[in-house]
Amino acid sequence: MVSVMSNHETVELPDKPLVVIERSKPWVALNLRGVWAYRELLYFLIWRDLKVRYKQTLLGASWAIIQPLITMLVFTYFFGKLARVPTDGVPYPIFFYTGLVVWTYFSNALISGANSLVGNANLITKVYFPRLIIPTAAVLSGLLDFAIASVLLAGLLLYYGLPVTVRYLMFLPLVALVTMLALGFGVWLSALNVRYRDVRYALSFLVQIWMFVSPIIYPSSVVPEEWRWLMVLNPMTGIVEGFRASLFGNPIQWTALGYSTVFTVANLFYSAYVFRRTERHFAELI
Amino acid sequence: MRPIIKVENLSKQFRIQPTNRPAVRYDTLRESLVETVKSPLRRARANGKAAGDMIWALRDVSFEVMPGEVMGVIGANGAGKSTLLSVLSRIIEPTDGRAELFGRVASLLEVGTGFHPDLSGRENIYLNGAVLGMRRREIDEHFDEIVAFAEVEDFIDTAVKRYSSGMYVRLAFAVAAHLNPEILLVDEVLAVGDASFQRKCLGKMDEVTQNGRTILLVTHNLDVIAKLCGRAIFLRKGQVAVCGPAQEALNCYITTSNESSSPD
Repeated sequence: MVSVMSNHETVELPDKPLVVIERSKPWVALNLRGVWAYRELLYFLIWRDLKVRYKQTLLGASWAIIQPLITMLVFTYFFGKLARVPTDGVPYPIFFYTGLVVWTYFSNALISGANSLVGNANLITKVYFPRLIIPTAAVLSGLLDFAIASVLLAGLLLYYGLPVTVRYLMFLPLVALVTMLALGFGVWLSALNVRYRDVRYALSFLVQIWMFVSPIIYPSSVVPEEWRWLMVLNPMTGIVEGFRASLFGNPIQWTALGYSTVFTVANLFYSAYVFRRTERHFAELI
Repeated sequence: MRPIIKVENLSKQFRIQPTNRPAVRYDTLRESLVETVKSPLRRARANGKAAGDMIWALRDVSFEVMPGEVMGVIGANGAGKSTLLSVLSRIIEPTDGRAELFGRVASLLEVGTGFHPDLSGRENIYLNGAVLGMRRREIDEHFDEIVAFAEVEDFIDTAVKRYSSGMYVRLAFAVAAHLNPEILLVDEVLAVGDASFQRKCLGKMDEVTQNGRTILLVTHNLDVIAKLCGRAIFLRKGQVAVCGPAQEALNCYITTSNESSSPD
């Protein structure tokens, strides 16, 4: 039996209320401390996503490799062997695979982030916690697939005998950057999705188009010099080229990477702010 | 002694969707754009009577609950009981008024919130515990008790989608019963399982109340109110009709519901 935790006599109330409930002000704080207080829930939601992801599948986590691998093989044949897309001297398989692994991670994280609130409507209407945790968990749980797919990437690097350089140190900060970019868009779109279910339909094909305007199946060097700036406006350009520069030793495009970093951070703050401002209506709208 | 829950003039207004407009649920960008154009016109036509679309689910609700008290909330369907608990749980925001809570709150508006059908009983205990605000350490401590209370020892590593519905709700209730907050907001979750399990739930609730926890309990089961609650609030059309000794609130509720249901 449960032991008696407290008695009527020993109830000590704090002077200030722990929770004050009233209509919120038009401006809101980001309340990152609140998110931190609920970090265990964040952990459990990520854990749930990972546990559930490959339940009742035959191939399990190998799906994380199979998807980019098969796409890479197809690309290598069509864009490499047939269309002969220039790759700045990098072997086709590893050139495409790098872009695809990054893109697969980014797009999956973005899409699952955007659909996360709607998919967890049962939680939102029944319990309180900082809602930012839901899209954050959805985005972060994509990291495992990325890590699994990266194992094959390491294998390919070894196979093609590319030299290990100090530039490998850029890899992890780039992963953090692409995660933050997916988080920013995911957080913003998840809030929008609560109100407008159009997001779900628009997103799947916008992501397709976004892939074609990002340097995934071609290097940004194929774009004529005078149009390069337009390409760089897409924050994924700097990031994907950054990944290639860190692994293959191509020149690092600092301007593009710098722009992507500034964009990512600003976007994340803006999205978190929009999210916080609209989250009070989630339970009523969802 | 000071109150642990203090509610002052709490009001919540909802927009009700007229039948010629789709529910918010299927809101799309196109409809919203059309709406932006149409609504000033409609408002002009309605002579500024757009407030007709709105309904007060709660209106100037004020009450106080003392530490260790078990307060019942009764009322007909649509009287605002669940809205009250949702507002106090910080799930929806009040339109007006204020509430102050002087303790850790846990809300139990449904059994099994966050249960995932593909996860095992063991995994769902942890997930559901975390969702309800338990620390992992607390769940570890109570794990065996929860399993024993739910009587699912043999199936603890089976996916809950293979559970019978009785086992499912028993497990869900068992997790919730081991929550340890200072304030517990409970909405109609005692009526789960078969008769013997319901008795067990009531016994557990009784035990919880002995532990000095403050409980706000919404239920249609008037016997439960009479048995567990010292005081009760009778809500009627979003307003407090009675806030006093449980028996008084119950009598008033029974009288009014007889009046409204009597044949004319």
